[in-house]
Amino acid sequence: MEDFLFDLIDLVQSIADGLLFGTTYAMIGIGFTLIFGVMDKLNMSYAAAAIAGAYSSIAILAVVPAPAPVAFFIAAIAAGLFGYVIYLLCFRFIPLASPLATLMATVGMLLLIDEIIVHETDGMPQPYPALFDDVMVEFGPFGLRGDLMFVFAVSVVSMAVLLYLIYRTRLGIATRAVSQQPVAAQLCGIGLERTNAMTFVITGVLGGIAGAMIGAAVGVLSPLLSIPFTVKGLIVTVIGGLGSIPGAIIAGLLVGAFENTFQFLRGVTERDMYVMLLLFVFLFLRPGGIFSPPDGRD
Amino acid sequence: MDFYLGLAQIIGVHTILGLSAYVVMLTGQLSLAQAGFFAIGAYVAGMLTVLAGFHIVPAMLVGAVLAGLMAFIVGFPALRVKGLMLVIATLAFGEFVRLFFFNFDYQISKGGITVGPLGGEGFRQIRFFPENGWTSLDVMLFVWAVVIIVMAALWWMDRSRAGAVLRAVGEDELAAQSAGINLTVVKVAAMTAGGFIAGLGGGIYAHYTTHIEHLNFGVILATFAIAYPILGGLSNVFGTLVAVIFIQGVLVEGLRFMGDWRNLLFGALIVLAMNVRPRGLFDERATALLKGLFTGRGHART
Repeated sequence: MEDFLFDLIDLVQSIADGLLFGTTYAMIGIGFTLIFGVMDKLNMSYAAAAIAGAYSSIAILAVVPAPAPVAFFIAAIAAGLFGYVIYLLCFRFIPLASPLATLMATVGMLLLIDEIIVHETDGMPQPYPALFDDVMVEFGPFGLRGDLMFVFAVSVVSMAVLLYLIYRTRLGIATRAVSQQPVAAQLCGIGLERTNAMTFVITGVLGGIAGAMIGAAVGVLSPLLSIPFTVKGLIVTVIGGLGSIPGAIIAGLLVGAFENTFQFLRGVTERDMYVMLLLFVFLFLRPGGIFSPPDGRD
Repeated sequence: MDFYLGLAQIIGVHTILGLSAYVVMLTGQLSLAQAGFFAIGAYVAGMLTVLAGFHIVPAMLVGAVLAGLMAFIVGFPALRVKGLMLVIATLAFGEFVRLFFFNFDYQISKGGITVGPLGGEGFRQIRFFPENGWTSLDVMLFVWAVVIIVMAALWWMDRSRAGAVLRAVGEDELAAQSAGINLTVVKVAAMTAGGFIAGLGGGIYAHYTTHIEHLNFGVILATFAIAYPILGGLSNVFGTLVAVIFIQGVLVEGLRFMGDWRNLLFGALIVLAMNVRPRGLFDERATALLKGLFTGRGHART
């Protein structure tokens, strides 16, 4: 009985840690979902660009020493820039009628970003600064890691700002208009290309924050992060419902908790397999995701 | 000489891999799981010849059938929903297979040594070819016999009604559906066929490299698989073959002097090619032009 209780405490602790870390998945998922919403296309290089943003902040910090919050800020700016570059290279000049070409270009971009990172760092993991990593808040048998709580807080604030941008500003209205009916939006005088480019920059900034938070929570950045985060970000979008922002947030937390539970139960080498099984469970039982878009709209 | 025989084997296996993605792509879908099916074929065929003492041909067929079955299981729920869902589901599935073999141990003792897959260490000693006295030339001929069979089958299929149905779905789903084609059945069938072909390729790959591990079957291999038909275009099977020869023969082998930078080039080249020629290097117009040149008519039809 005693052992069982200990296990239960560890399990609850794992779920709590997972929920805190899950906010980074939610941010990556929102990025995928927003780009899918406005362009009806997947940007496979999104998570890689987010990680690359965090890497750029290390590169700049190596030249100009600065505290950790500055690093996070630089990561966001750099990833916003990457977002724009990806838009130019993989979306802007490829005809709309060739969806496969766009998809393939972003996959190429994913490999390119990965290889640039490997080339610049010789494939070695790089330490990343964290905040409050020496703080531990105790609740009876449970403890919440300070750095994870910081990650959680930053993610929640960034997502709140993003939701404000999307639902309360003119830019957000334009973005949503393009995502619902590009032609009608154009007729109302909304510049399609400008809106699309802005969406890439905004999601890029969000991704950069996510990349920095991943670095802060894990403690290191390595080129091995980009593929798993791409896969999990996409799983989050499917589970939440393609195109749904609230869905992505909930699914991100769900995936974070689920993953940490299985890390506790089955070990770190097997945990990602269970996340992928979760995707297939959703594909079978609720293929549209938690918040499936209304029928009749493609 | 052995170098060129080895290169010919690589080109052959990658052609099979590329053709497996080609079938799926004819229906307008993109599958990032071909590396996963390739891995299933490789591990199953390797285990059958090493652990169960099978001949390579039945072992490859069993591996391919299993890979096809997995493709069916993955494709069915994903294809019911929406086009892009397949990309996500197949990417996740490909990584799932890789992680599965990363965690997969099944070793038995045979003649004093333990053989079989061993997790992250990989699966060593798949020695069917050397044990049975096949020379590099024999292996190369065997690889190309399989390539020719697969290519001929696909060529014939393309000329038949099945090919027309696949292409109809790829061109315009709505129109195909109006013509009474069941989209899910067609796409799942293409997916299953793609899985089967990738499994065949994996079976050969495991035997000529003699050592496979999970890292061989990552996203980079999946990208190679779809890059071949995309670069080669979907007008016919030879586009894929030309793309494989170009990438494996010219880029990968020819640019060895560039060292590290070669890997950078691959991603950049895909991005560039998609901007310049979104319908593939050999799209319909280029193929028609080539046909015109060879038949002496001089002018392309379109």
